[in-house]
Amino acid sequence: MLDAKPSVKLVTKLVEVKDLKMYFPIHTGLFRRHTGDVKAVDGINFDIYQGETLGLVGESGCGKSTVGRALLRLYELTAGSVTIEGEDIATLEPEALRKKRPMMQMVFQDPQACLNPRMTVAQIVSEPLDEHTDWSADQKLAKVYELMDAVGLNRVFANRYPHAFSGGQRQRIGIARALALNPKFIVCDEPIAALDVSIQAQVVNLLEDLQEKLGLTYLFISHDLSMVRHIADRVAVMYLGRIAEISPREPLYADPLHPYAKALLSAVPDPDPSREATRQRIILKGDVPSPSNPPKGCNFCTRCPEVIPICREVKPELAEVRPGRFVACHLVPAQNNNAAGSTSGTTVQKHNQQGEPEQ
Amino acid sequence: MPDGAKPVLDVRGLQTVFRTRGGDVHAVNSVSFHLEPGELLGVVGESGSGKSVTMMSLIGLLPMPPAEVREGEVLLGDMDILKISPAQLRDVRGRRIGFVFQDPMTSLNPVYNIGNQVMEPLRRHMGMNKAQAYTRAVELMELVGIPDPERRLKDYPHQFSGGMRQRVMIAIALACDPEVLIADEPTTALDVTIQAQIIELVKELRTKLGMAIVWITHDLGVIAGIADRVIVMYAGQVVEQAPVKELFANPQHPYTRALLKTIPSVTGERETRLKVIEGQPPILGAAPTACPFAPRCGHAFDRCGAENPIRRALGAGRVGYGHDVACHWDASKGAAHA
Ligand SMILES: Nc1ncnc2c1ncn2[C@@H]1O[C@H](COP(=O)(O)OP(=O)(O)O)[C@@H](O)[C@H]1O
Ligand SMILES: Nc1ncnc2c1ncn2[C@@H]1O[C@H](COP(=O)(O)OP(=O)(O)O)[C@@H](O)[C@H]1O
Ligand code: SF4
Ligand SMILES: [Mg+2]
Ligand SMILES: [Mg+2]
Repeated sequence: MLDAKPSVKLVTKLVEVKDLKMYFPIHTGLFRRHTGDVKAVDGINFDIYQGETLGLVGESGCGKSTVGRALLRLYELTAGSVTIEGEDIATLEPEALRKKRPMMQMVFQDPQACLNPRMTVAQIVSEPLDEHTDWSADQKLAKVYELMDAVGLNRVFANRYPHAFSGGQRQRIGIARALALNPKFIVCDEPIAALDVSIQAQVVNLLEDLQEKLGLTYLFISHDLSMVRHIADRVAVMYLGRIAEISPREPLYADPLHPYAKALLSAVPDPDPSREATRQRIILKGDVPSPSNPPKGCNFCTRCPEVIPICREVKPELAEVRPGRFVACHLVPAQNNNAAGSTSGTTVQKHNQQGEPEQ
Repeated sequence: MPDGAKPVLDVRGLQTVFRTRGGDVHAVNSVSFHLEPGELLGVVGESGSGKSVTMMSLIGLLPMPPAEVREGEVLLGDMDILKISPAQLRDVRGRRIGFVFQDPMTSLNPVYNIGNQVMEPLRRHMGMNKAQAYTRAVELMELVGIPDPERRLKDYPHQFSGGMRQRVMIAIALACDPEVLIADEPTTALDVTIQAQIIELVKELRTKLGMAIVWITHDLGVIAGIADRVIVMYAGQVVEQAPVKELFANPQHPYTRALLKTIPSVTGERETRLKVIEGQPPILGAAPTACPFAPRCGHAFDRCGAENPIRRALGAGRVGYGHDVACHWDASKGAAHA
């Protein structure tokens, strides 16, 4: 049922991200001089379609949260544009931005940290209503109950404080609050990372149900590639502030094209001893370089098992190498003449052989 | 590993309670397991299931009070290490049992350089002089795959990445050539490609050095790839024990079965909907008188609420060897256990 969705869904672009850069300045010395930048997000492009879940994966520090926050303009962007429903939110004036806020919301990793411990569940969930509506207290309470029902929280808990809840329940409170203003787009930043395995599935199922019922669009940020395979329609793989590959879920997991995507997927442990025993693992050498001083050329060139000389000189652009699949790698060249998106299988085959030498 | 080879470590009936102002916490209830020479025993369970407290109890690292190890034996060879003096226990910890924790930053001292910390156990437990300890420290750093060891020994913990710090911890744990290595979620804080590096390293070291390993994790994928045998913990108890392939192919406890169904994988069949284990683990305020999984269990029947099931062997084997489960329901028959 869920599997059938992607093909029908990729019609309307809800979010368009162009050349997005988010740098954090580094100040050093007595005079706090600006001596460099943490290039947390360094020029990325992607779209999110209405009703889909775009997974955003990559290792810690690669810039996932920064992307999520920049999309909601919780930061002033260094460069680029983020167009949501036709408006570039990067340049919106404060009042216009305030009007836009209700439609885009965020669910955080640690519900504990963003739920005010002195407020009851009802107060937490209705806070956005206080800010953005002029409803009466009764109207707001009715909405709070409706939201609590929607996320599976018993109404009798409305007057309790967050500490009385388990991690999974707190995440439900955070989700209810994010839904209060009928958003269309929700950035879920590691929403299950702090939860136990047996609780993760509860929250993921809830997010899926809500998406179907309310027609939500998600950016689902996670370092858990197994869970992303479950929930996402398409997946963007980030490395050191840039996107290595964006592909629909099935081809990405079956046949990742970017060498980093390959290594990342091969490193995920598989809960099956017989498959584990035969799996070929690509073990990357060394650590991720610092985002304040990324390598010249391809940012993965210092660790890439397939590196060739050009990688250390020229930055590969993200290009559509197969229909719907975008890869930034010199070994996976864009196909020529595929403006219409139709490609011949033989060309694909040829590129594949060039791009993936025997290991 | 043949059944009945003399275990390196034999833990019997361990019970640990925390006495806190908010009441007692029965963190570990009658936990038994053994470790055979050279094997890797995986310990899997959700957070709070008692994995860490079990291991800390047996090597005397819990703060007492509030902790009380009320019952149990921990045989290291022929010696019950719950009964030895604190000085003897320190020696056992440094020399015979090495351990590695989730967050190396808390176990490394930020004000000493790495060289000092790798050499310390060598000087203290192995009676090496400074020059000998230094030579051995360089070897250990090479052993765990830290490039440029002589220079890195002069660095401080904060100059190492998470993965490199965990390598240092492994070097320290292995310094005195221990019989047993206890690794408590050693890769949980690491990124998956770095986790893969560490797992690869441990596999290599196992074949090279042959020590027995207890590897604690909440990640069934990690267990599947690294363990020979597994114990599953829930609410302070061992609910199932089996060789790794057997456990995944033929899980018996309703908790193990549900857990295996609830986790997605990157390679297997993709579920359109995740199976859910409703509810949450119990709060361990008292010694259990019922099956602790009963409130979440789809198979629970009256006996489950009245009596805490003890581990029973499947087939002819002994509990702790072969496959055993603590459950009143018999998964193979699909009915109550007679
Ligand atoms: N507010 C900030 N100031 C300075 N550096 C930051 C800030 N936020 C994030 N960074 C840096 O940007 C990089 C990307 O961080 P983040 O987006 O949080 O990564 P991820 O979510 O993928 O773990 C990291 O190097 C991080 O240290
Ligand atoms: N110092 C302590 N005081 C009170 N309770 C504790 C203490 N340390 C651990 N516990 C409790 O013991 C139980 C088992 O914890 P632990 O062994 O750390 O679980 P795991 O390692 O499986 O996540 C938990 O319920 C935990 O809250
Ligand atoms: S003993 Fe009963 S409640 Fe416990 S797991 Fe077995 S069937 Fe379920
Ligand atoms: Mg993040
Ligand atoms: Mg623990």
